[in-house]
Amino acid sequence: MTPALSRTLNALGLLGICAVLMVAFVDQLAFGELPCPLCLLQRAGFVGVAAALALNVRFGPRPSHYGLMILAAAVGFTVAVRQMLLHIAPGDPGFGAPFLGLHFYTWAAIVFAVVIVGAAALLLFDRQFSFDPGLPTWSGLALAALGLGLIMALGNGVSTVLECAGGLCPDNPTSYLLLQEGGLKNFFAP
Amino acid sequence: MMSLPFFGFTLAFVGILAGQRRLSIALLALSLIATLVLFKFHATDALAISL
Repeated sequence: MTPALSRTLNALGLLGICAVLMVAFVDQLAFGELPCPLCLLQRAGFVGVAAALALNVRFGPRPSHYGLMILAAAVGFTVAVRQMLLHIAPGDPGFGAPFLGLHFYTWAAIVFAVVIVGAAALLLFDRQFSFDPGLPTWSGLALAALGLGLIMALGNGVSTVLECAGGLCPDNPTSYLLLQEGGLKNFFAP
Repeated sequence: MMSLPFFGFTLAFVGILAGQRRLSIALLALSLIATLVLFKFHATDALAISL
Protein backbone atom coordinates (compact mmCIF):
# COMPACT_ATOMS: atom_id res chain seq x y z
CA MET A 1 0.00 0.00 0.00
CA THR A 2 1.43 3.37 -1.03
CA PRO A 3 1.37 6.37 1.35
CA ALA A 4 -1.06 8.09 -1.04
CA LEU A 5 -3.52 5.18 -0.94
CA SER A 6 -3.23 5.04 2.83
CA ARG A 7 -4.02 8.78 3.08
CA THR A 8 -7.06 8.27 0.87
CA LEU A 9 -8.32 5.39 3.01
CA ASN A 10 -7.76 7.44 6.17
CA ALA A 11 -9.65 10.38 4.62
CA LEU A 12 -12.56 8.05 3.79
CA GLY A 13 -12.44 6.71 7.34
CA LEU A 14 -12.51 10.27 8.66
CA LEU A 15 -15.60 11.00 6.54
CA GLY A 16 -17.18 7.80 7.92
CA ILE A 17 -16.60 8.88 11.52
CA CYS A 18 -17.99 12.34 10.68
CA ALA A 19 -21.10 10.59 9.29
CA VAL A 20 -21.51 8.75 12.62
CA LEU A 21 -21.27 12.06 14.50
CA MET A 22 -23.75 13.66 12.09
CA VAL A 23 -26.30 10.89 12.70
CA ALA A 24 -25.97 11.62 16.43
CA PHE A 25 -26.50 15.35 15.76
CA VAL A 26 -29.60 14.65 13.64
CA ASP A 27 -31.03 12.52 16.45
CA GLN A 28 -30.29 15.33 18.91
CA LEU A 29 -31.54 18.27 16.87
CA ALA A 30 -34.39 16.77 14.83
CA PHE A 31 -35.78 14.30 17.37
CA GLY A 32 -34.90 16.19 20.56
CA GLU A 33 -32.92 13.37 22.18
CA LEU A 34 -30.30 15.12 24.31
CA PRO A 35 -27.13 13.07 24.75
CA CYS A 36 -26.46 11.70 28.24
CA PRO A 37 -22.99 12.13 29.83
CA LEU A 38 -21.82 8.67 28.70
CA CYS A 39 -23.18 9.40 25.21
CA LEU A 40 -21.11 12.60 25.13
CA LEU A 41 -17.99 10.71 26.20
CA GLN A 42 -18.57 8.22 23.37
CA ARG A 43 -18.84 11.16 20.99
CA ALA A 44 -15.52 12.41 22.40
CA GLY A 45 -14.03 8.99 21.59
CA PHE A 46 -15.25 9.32 18.00
CA VAL A 47 -13.81 12.83 17.70
CA GLY A 48 -10.51 11.46 19.06
CA VAL A 49 -10.52 8.75 16.40
CA ALA A 50 -11.29 11.45 13.83
CA ALA A 51 -8.33 13.55 14.98
CA ALA A 52 -5.99 10.54 14.71
CA LEU A 53 -7.29 9.83 11.19
CA ALA A 54 -6.73 13.50 10.38
CA LEU A 55 -3.08 13.19 11.49
CA ASN A 56 -2.61 10.44 8.88
CA VAL A 57 -4.39 12.49 6.23
CA ARG A 58 -2.36 15.67 6.86
CA PHE A 59 1.10 14.36 7.74
CA GLY A 60 1.07 10.96 6.08
CA PRO A 61 0.55 7.57 7.77
CA ARG A 62 2.69 6.78 10.83
CA PRO A 63 2.45 3.98 13.38
CA SER A 64 2.10 6.54 16.20
CA HIS A 65 -1.02 7.99 14.54
CA TYR A 66 -2.55 4.52 14.34
CA GLY A 67 -1.61 4.00 17.99
CA LEU A 68 -3.51 7.13 18.99
CA MET A 69 -6.44 5.96 16.87
CA ILE A 70 -6.56 2.63 18.69
CA LEU A 71 -6.25 4.35 22.10
CA ALA A 72 -9.09 6.77 21.29
CA ALA A 73 -11.26 3.89 20.06
CA ALA A 74 -10.42 1.90 23.21
CA VAL A 75 -11.55 4.83 25.38
CA GLY A 76 -14.82 5.11 23.44
CA PHE A 77 -15.33 1.33 23.48
CA THR A 78 -14.87 1.27 27.27
CA VAL A 79 -17.53 3.94 27.77
CA ALA A 80 -19.93 2.25 25.33
CA VAL A 81 -19.56 -1.15 26.99
CA ARG A 82 -20.09 0.44 30.42
CA GLN A 83 -23.38 1.89 29.16
CA MET A 84 -24.37 -1.45 27.59
CA LEU A 85 -23.76 -3.19 30.93
CA LEU A 86 -25.89 -0.57 32.75
CA HIS A 87 -28.87 -1.65 30.63
CA ILE A 88 -28.11 -5.32 30.12
CA ALA A 89 -30.53 -6.72 32.73
CA PRO A 90 -33.67 -8.39 31.30
CA GLY A 91 -36.61 -5.98 31.11
CA ASP A 92 -34.46 -2.84 31.02
CA PRO A 93 -35.74 -0.64 28.18
CA GLY A 94 -32.31 0.89 27.60
CA PHE A 95 -31.50 4.59 27.19
CA GLY A 96 -33.07 6.47 24.28
CA ALA A 97 -34.82 5.12 21.22
CA PRO A 98 -33.22 2.25 19.28
CA PHE A 99 -31.73 2.96 15.85
CA LEU A 100 -32.03 0.11 13.32
CA GLY A 101 -32.80 -2.29 16.16
CA LEU A 102 -29.90 -1.36 18.45
CA HIS A 103 -29.33 1.46 20.91
CA PHE A 104 -26.76 4.09 19.99
CA TYR A 105 -24.29 2.90 22.65
CA THR A 106 -24.39 -0.62 21.18
CA TRP A 107 -23.75 0.77 17.71
CA ALA A 108 -20.93 2.84 19.18
CA ALA A 109 -19.28 -0.26 20.71
CA ILE A 110 -19.51 -2.02 17.33
CA VAL A 111 -18.02 0.94 15.42
CA PHE A 112 -15.19 1.37 17.95
CA ALA A 113 -14.39 -2.35 17.64
CA VAL A 114 -14.33 -1.98 13.84
CA VAL A 115 -11.95 1.01 14.18
CA ILE A 116 -9.58 -1.00 16.40
CA VAL A 117 -9.55 -3.97 14.02
CA GLY A 118 -9.29 -1.69 10.97
CA ALA A 119 -6.36 0.28 12.40
CA ALA A 120 -4.57 -2.95 13.35
CA ALA A 121 -5.14 -4.32 9.85
CA LEU A 122 -3.79 -1.14 8.20
CA LEU A 123 -0.69 -1.33 10.42
CA LEU A 124 0.21 -4.57 8.60
CA PHE A 125 1.08 -2.68 5.39
CA ASP A 126 4.65 -1.47 5.93
CA ARG A 127 5.15 0.27 2.58
CA GLN A 128 2.78 3.07 3.55
CA PHE A 129 5.37 4.16 6.14
CA SER A 130 8.15 4.74 3.58
CA PHE A 131 9.88 7.99 4.43
CA ASP A 132 8.38 10.99 2.69
CA PRO A 133 9.97 14.32 3.72
CA GLY A 134 7.74 17.36 3.82
CA LEU A 135 4.00 17.67 4.09
CA PRO A 136 1.93 15.83 1.47
CA THR A 137 0.03 17.95 -1.01
CA TRP A 138 -3.61 18.74 -0.36
CA SER A 139 -6.36 16.90 -2.17
CA GLY A 140 -10.02 17.88 -2.30
CA LEU A 141 -10.95 14.76 -0.35
CA ALA A 142 -8.36 15.47 2.35
CA LEU A 143 -9.46 19.09 2.69
CA ALA A 144 -13.16 18.14 2.88
CA ALA A 145 -12.51 15.41 5.46
CA LEU A 146 -10.35 17.65 7.67
CA GLY A 147 -12.80 20.56 7.41
CA LEU A 148 -15.74 18.35 8.33
CA GLY A 149 -13.79 16.82 11.22
CA LEU A 150 -13.03 20.29 12.59
CA ILE A 151 -16.69 21.29 12.31
CA MET A 152 -17.78 18.11 14.13
CA ALA A 153 -15.31 18.67 16.98
CA LEU A 154 -16.27 22.33 17.42
CA GLY A 155 -19.99 21.61 16.97
CA ASN A 156 -19.95 18.98 19.71
CA GLY A 157 -18.06 21.37 22.00
CA VAL A 158 -20.59 24.17 21.51
CA SER A 159 -23.54 21.76 21.84
CA THR A 160 -22.13 20.37 25.08
CA VAL A 161 -21.66 23.85 26.55
CA LEU A 162 -25.29 24.68 25.70
CA GLU A 163 -26.51 21.41 27.23
CA CYS A 164 -24.36 21.16 30.33
CA ALA A 165 -23.16 24.74 30.90
CA GLY A 166 -19.86 24.79 32.80
CA GLY A 167 -20.29 21.69 34.95
CA LEU A 168 -20.94 17.97 34.64
CA CYS A 169 -24.06 17.00 32.69
CA PRO A 170 -27.18 15.68 34.45
CA ASP A 171 -27.63 11.91 34.07
CA ASN A 172 -30.90 12.28 32.17
CA PRO A 173 -30.79 15.70 30.49
CA THR A 174 -34.16 17.13 29.42
CA SER A 175 -33.21 20.63 28.28
CA TYR A 176 -30.26 22.82 27.34
CA LEU A 177 -29.11 24.36 30.65
CA LEU A 178 -27.63 27.43 28.99
CA LEU A 179 -30.79 28.15 26.96
CA GLN A 180 -33.05 28.19 30.02
CA GLU A 181 -34.08 31.47 31.63
CA GLY A 182 -31.10 32.72 33.61
CA GLY A 183 -29.03 30.17 31.74
CA LEU A 184 -25.78 32.10 31.97
CA LYS A 185 -25.91 31.69 35.76
CA ASN A 186 -25.78 27.95 35.13
CA PHE A 187 -22.48 28.30 33.33
CA PHE A 188 -20.57 28.30 36.59
CA ALA A 189 -22.88 25.86 38.36
CA PRO A 190 -21.40 22.43 39.23
CA MET B 1 -16.38 20.89 31.98
CA MET B 2 -17.87 18.13 29.81
CA SER B 3 -17.00 20.18 26.74
CA LEU B 4 -13.25 20.29 27.51
CA PRO B 5 -12.33 17.18 25.46
CA PHE B 6 -14.20 18.51 22.44
CA PHE B 7 -12.45 21.87 22.55
CA GLY B 8 -9.13 20.09 23.03
CA PHE B 9 -9.81 17.99 19.95
CA THR B 10 -10.90 21.14 18.10
CA LEU B 11 -7.53 22.75 18.87
CA ALA B 12 -5.83 19.53 17.75
CA PHE B 13 -7.65 19.81 14.41
CA VAL B 14 -6.56 23.45 14.11
CA GLY B 15 -2.99 22.35 14.79
CA ILE B 16 -3.27 19.61 12.17
CA LEU B 17 -4.53 22.10 9.58
CA ALA B 18 -1.70 24.47 10.55
CA GLY B 19 0.92 21.73 10.12
CA GLN B 20 1.80 21.52 13.84
CA ARG B 21 2.10 17.74 14.28
CA ARG B 22 3.63 17.49 17.76
CA LEU B 23 1.30 20.10 19.23
CA SER B 24 -1.69 18.29 17.73
CA ILE B 25 -0.57 14.94 19.15
CA ALA B 26 -0.12 16.51 22.60
CA LEU B 27 -3.59 18.09 22.46
CA LEU B 28 -5.13 14.81 21.27
CA ALA B 29 -3.47 12.88 24.11
CA LEU B 30 -4.52 15.46 26.73
CA SER B 31 -8.09 15.41 25.45
CA LEU B 32 -8.19 11.62 25.70
CA ILE B 33 -6.96 11.82 29.29
CA ALA B 34 -9.65 14.45 30.02
CA THR B 35 -12.25 12.08 28.55
CA LEU B 36 -11.06 9.30 30.87
CA VAL B 37 -11.16 11.61 33.92
CA LEU B 38 -14.73 12.65 33.08
CA PHE B 39 -15.63 8.97 32.61
CA LYS B 40 -14.39 8.30 36.16
CA PHE B 41 -16.84 10.95 37.46
CA HIS B 42 -19.72 9.34 35.58
CA ALA B 43 -19.02 5.66 36.28
CA THR B 44 -19.86 5.58 39.97
CA ASP B 45 -22.94 3.32 40.12
CA ALA B 46 -22.40 -0.39 40.75
CA LEU B 47 -23.49 -2.55 37.83
CA ALA B 48 -26.39 -4.93 38.50
CA ILE B 49 -24.54 -7.92 37.09
CA SER B 50 -22.42 -10.75 38.45
CA LEU B 51 -18.97 -10.96 36.92
